Amino acid sequence: MKRIVFLLGTLTAVYAGGPEILQKRCLSCHNGQAKMGGLSLETKADAAAVLSGKLARRVEAGEMPPGGGLPPGERAEIAAWLRSGASWEGRLTLAVRPRAGKDWWSLQPIPASAVGSIDAFIQAKLAEKGLTLSAPADRRTLIRRVTFDLTGLPPTPEEVDAFVAGGSYEQLVDRLLASPAYGERWGRHWLDVIRFGESNGYEQNHIRPTAWLFRDFIIRSFNEDLPYSDLIVRSLAGDVTGKGVPEIEIGTGFLVAGPHDTVGNQAEAFKRQQRADDYDDMVNATASAFLGLTVNCAKCHDHKFDPIRQTDYYRLAAVFAGVHHGERVIATEERKAAHQAAARPIETRIAAAKASLAGLRDGAKPGLEAAEERVRGRMRPPVDSYGTEERFEAVAARFVRLTLPQGGAGGLDEFEVWNEAGKNVALGVPALASATRVADGNPDAYHPRLLTDGQFDKRWFAPPGTNGVTITLPLAATERVNRATWSTDRQRAFQGRFQQSTPARYELAVSMDGVTWTTVAMDAGRMPAAKDAQERLFVMEALDLAGRASYTQAEQELAAAAAALAKLEKLPRAYAGEFKEQVEPVYLHKGGNVMQRGDPMPAGSPSALPGFELPLDAPESDRRMALARWLTSNDNPLTPRVMANRLWYYHFGRGLSGTPSDFGYNGERPSHPELLDYLARKLLDYGWRLKPLHREIVLSRTYRQASDGNAAAARIDADCRLLWRFPPQRLQAEAIRDNMLAVAGVLDRTVGGPSFQLYKYTVDNVATYFPVERFGPETYRRAVYAQSARSIRTELLSVYDCPDSSLPEPRRYVTTSPLQALTLLNHSFTIDMAKAFARRMAASADPVGRGFALAFGRPPRPEERTAAQALAVQHGYPALARALFNTNEFIYVH
Amino acid sequence: MFTNALPCRRRFIQGLGAVALNGLLQGGAPHFTPKVKRVIQIMCPGGVSHLDTFDYKPELIKRSGQPMPGGEKEVSFQGANGNLMRSPWEFVRRGQSGRWMTEKLPQLGALADGMAFIHSMTSRSNTHGPACVAMNTGFVFEGFPSAGAWTTYALGSMNENLPAYVAIPDVRGIPPSGPANWTAGFLPAEHQGISFNAAEPIRNLDRPEGVPEPADQATRALVQTLNEGHAARHAGDAELRARIASYELAARMQLSAPEVSNLASESQATHALYGTADANPLLAAYARNCLLSRRLVERGVRYVQLYCASRASGVDGLLNWDAHKTLKADYERHFPILDKPTAGLITDLRARGLLDDTLVLWTTEFGRMPTHQEGLLGRDHNPDAYTVWMLGAGVKGGATHGATDDFGRRVVSDVATVHDYWATVLHLLGLNHEKLTWYHNGINRRLTDVHGHVMHGLLR
Repeated sequence: MKRIVFLLGTLTAVYAGGPEILQKRCLSCHNGQAKMGGLSLETKADAAAVLSGKLARRVEAGEMPPGGGLPPGERAEIAAWLRSGASWEGRLTLAVRPRAGKDWWSLQPIPASAVGSIDAFIQAKLAEKGLTLSAPADRRTLIRRVTFDLTGLPPTPEEVDAFVAGGSYEQLVDRLLASPAYGERWGRHWLDVIRFGESNGYEQNHIRPTAWLFRDFIIRSFNEDLPYSDLIVRSLAGDVTGKGVPEIEIGTGFLVAGPHDTVGNQAEAFKRQQRADDYDDMVNATASAFLGLTVNCAKCHDHKFDPIRQTDYYRLAAVFAGVHHGERVIATEERKAAHQAAARPIETRIAAAKASLAGLRDGAKPGLEAAEERVRGRMRPPVDSYGTEERFEAVAARFVRLTLPQGGAGGLDEFEVWNEAGKNVALGVPALASATRVADGNPDAYHPRLLTDGQFDKRWFAPPGTNGVTITLPLAATERVNRATWSTDRQRAFQGRFQQSTPARYELAVSMDGVTWTTVAMDAGRMPAAKDAQERLFVMEALDLAGRASYTQAEQELAAAAAALAKLEKLPRAYAGEFKEQVEPVYLHKGGNVMQRGDPMPAGSPSALPGFELPLDAPESDRRMALARWLTSNDNPLTPRVMANRLWYYHFGRGLSGTPSDFGYNGERPSHPELLDYLARKLLDYGWRLKPLHREIVLSRTYRQASDGNAAAARIDADCRLLWRFPPQRLQAEAIRDNMLAVAGVLDRTVGGPSFQLYKYTVDNVATYFPVERFGPETYRRAVYAQSARSIRTELLSVYDCPDSSLPEPRRYVTTSPLQALTLLNHSFTIDMAKAFARRMAASADPVGRGFALAFGRPPRPEERTAAQALAVQHGYPALARALFNTNEFIYVH
Repeated sequence: MFTNALPCRRRFIQGLGAVALNGLLQGGAPHFTPKVKRVIQIMCPGGVSHLDTFDYKPELIKRSGQPMPGGEKEVSFQGANGNLMRSPWEFVRRGQSGRWMTEKLPQLGALADGMAFIHSMTSRSNTHGPACVAMNTGFVFEGFPSAGAWTTYALGSMNENLPAYVAIPDVRGIPPSGPANWTAGFLPAEHQGISFNAAEPIRNLDRPEGVPEPADQATRALVQTLNEGHAARHAGDAELRARIASYELAARMQLSAPEVSNLASESQATHALYGTADANPLLAAYARNCLLSRRLVERGVRYVQLYCASRASGVDGLLNWDAHKTLKADYERHFPILDKPTAGLITDLRARGLLDDTLVLWTTEFGRMPTHQEGLLGRDHNPDAYTVWMLGAGVKGGATHGATDDFGRRVVSDVATVHDYWATVLHLLGLNHEKLTWYHNGINRRLTDVHGHVMHGLLR
């Protein structure tokens, strides 16, 4: 064990390690300043209360330090040291780095007024290093930059020309901010931050078909410049503030935008874990998006670096205690009322029909047993999933055929045909089925050969919903057969689960030539397999003639009413969460372990800032409203600071703080704290509206300066944190794809609506997403409308760093890899777009000029024109289009 | 080292772009001298029963049919459990060391002396998807980088013409939770495992249909010309140079990847060793993937994740090792598929000297219950105990870490977690698992979360 800077004094050599271990493993939390759990271990006197027993117990049990305890060797050493009298002199000094307290920069109030200007703050910092802003960017560069920035799309050549000819920059900015493309671009940024995905994630990962309604809500909110404070309130409690107003209610899609485990788990610990994971996701999303706090780090123990207690985590979790994943009806009050008005009479009819059926059944009761006996006496037993048998007169057969007019929901694990000698002549015969269910990834999963393999563990299945399936056995030789048997669950592995769904109707036939068939057995005369159908037979038998007529009539009425109810237009539903007033309390989990429950926790705000705490039994919706109000209070310094930094980040490619969702100790301190405060103040002054702040930023000289390199400046500030030039940026994945569609002239600008898919989605218990070879025109919409299934790599998008929506992603990384090159060169999408782009070029009097204008917003240089022309002449305009898509200039913005 | 320095790195630095190509290829150096340069991780999804493979429990055999002592009828993942159920197969002693293994894996058994076993693995999830993801990334939640991504992030590539990290899904389909098992998570996308197998090549590798070779060449030449001019106008932006280099790399990959996938160049004897022509198409397909794995590591691919079986299907135990109801029939399908090709792979690696710096890992996501499920002849999930093994460079053959109780229900000594497991693997790669970090959302993330102890007893 290494010695650390620490006064060992006269400790004995053998058990000297105790204080060292404490210093290394415990002191970061249990020091005089942080004093987590009220305990300091700086001196023996501080530690006296725990040395007598608690320390040994918690170390031995592996409870401390959190997350698995000490390594075994150190545990033993602590125990030995304590037994030997815990000799300890001097004071332990914190060798690990310190942590943030309540005086941390991001927790301080926002200034009361905004003094200064963006350019003044930037220039002041530059001047400190002897740097200056670069010259203004030329107009061609500027319009390309600001158009991609605000809309994610390229400017058209006509727009470029008009602006270069002297158009007003302010008007350009206003036009872009008013464009619906603005919300598509900036809404997409926000969807990253709040981990919006359209599938459940985890093992099953099924699609949420109505999640897109929330995506549209976000895009709409940005386009309408909904105040950010309102966006937060709607996200947390739109159902409360906008009850009956679908456009507002849908906002709660935020709460359930994250992953959710849908696997039914029977084990108690794991059931609890699934629920804990749900609210962990909500806590993490809320705290990281709105507050820039990593509250989730305090799930198992107090935060190691920030003033966030473990209880803070569970107080936030308690805010979401009544929130559950799922769809709910989201409709206007009028629509709900109209639906109810239409449904009520039908429901009355249903109730009446059910009542008369029940009455007739009651009346039949006295004779029911006798009736059942009579029915059973004259009918054959029902088919049985464990095995059904038909015996018939021996007959010569070369072919045997089993027809299942209603398909076979449960499938068949074996089909046997016996000859007179008692031999199964079907065994090993290559069975033919007219239809077989195909499981993706394995066409053999339900193969007909399972019918005759002599084993009962796996089944042949008909495709779901298929009627009229035939199974044909071409026997190896002519046989005299007199018996057939088949089953769905011969091994009784499913304990009768298939009793109701084993094929109930069948016809067994034989043939010598495979053309002419003789029926040898049918299901006629068998009792139905389904319990309710059996019961109906008994009741009908027990009733007299008039009773039977009434019963049939009531059945018909019930069916008619049910059909009428089904025909009513359904109320719209959306994946925006369900709220249950019966709130299961949220307990503190010791060490984050769901089986180690501490006290139930009240809903409350993080204790680092003044805030709220509700009673333990506070109504569910009050909790979310309280949090929403607290987040959007003008006194909360984090909410506007974090958002102002996000805007800056997306405009410049880096934030004033480089960690947009972490304003704690581990996050990056802002390069220009006064500027950040200024922007936060402005956001408040603009009434939490974003568009005026965008406008102020993009009108600044800082934004409008050129992006040219400057070796002298780079030597002083290589990362360009001080913004001595505008930092060039690679387009985000979505913008690369949208740019191709736009330049090819095929971009469908329809706003909103259901998502399109860039994969083939299949479900066989779990979902599987297969890549597709070709994207059809239905995908020629902006990438923000592409369905975002979790953990699924989407061609073109993922390779260009589009993040997985499993976790919130406040930043996009920029990587460069050969796979990006291969995808952009060779994917069928590139080829399709190149053809469309080529047609567009060819339609012009100057195809090459038009190509450059569309792709780069500039005319070709002479040598470029020559080279491009040569390629087009020799290999066609699609080759030129493919080349232009693959250039750096196409995907970099300066 | 190996942290993403704040602020987030951008490479628009002044000066020459010549560093760009190197920047795409190289990771860092290890923290200390490594024993291992490359890894083949075999993953058998579905939760392989330790009690029917590698964890010999005579007491379970003896008391089969009796209630589990001290065990009220426990409720696990799918529901209630019945009595103790012995393995349908015998256990036999294998190798010089006399290690007990199931009789049904004879060829792997012959290699037993080289294997180091961990019998005390535990999982944080009892569900296939999250548990597979936990095995491969250290976290039950999706979105975290897989071990292969961490490895290539730390060590880079050894062959610029091939992906550094390859995931080889089984012909039966992708594993539970699919690509989350080989994702780069929040690490840069270049560390993503590239998925292909002997049956399906890398996507978008080939020149598109309808684009003749000369047109393709001329197109790329124009891209190069335009890019050069553009880069010259923006001198100092190294990213532009890096992207030019990436097109050169892509061209090389287009030549190298088909070569590595071309198994026809292997000898008849090699094919026979793996079983690539076996009558069982699933065995043959896995054998070809095993052979592909060897060819990949031979050519410097850093990390290969090789699957034997696939996702959960509508029928438990059919496509993978998830034997809830019909253990005997299920594993009699799966055992032969695993046995010969895997043994062939190890034998071949050894014969070619590749085991000197290649580590072979055999993994699954959790174990199974010693009891049968009520009314059924299969076992439910058991996240409290499972067995994995490793073999090859740096591994002490014959070593054992941890043990389960008399029935294999729970671990009784030296509990091991996926974090201990990966701490050990990273150690073999010359990496200190506590120092291999990436800042993400407030935390310097590690493959081993805030846990992990190297299991030194398994190492040479």
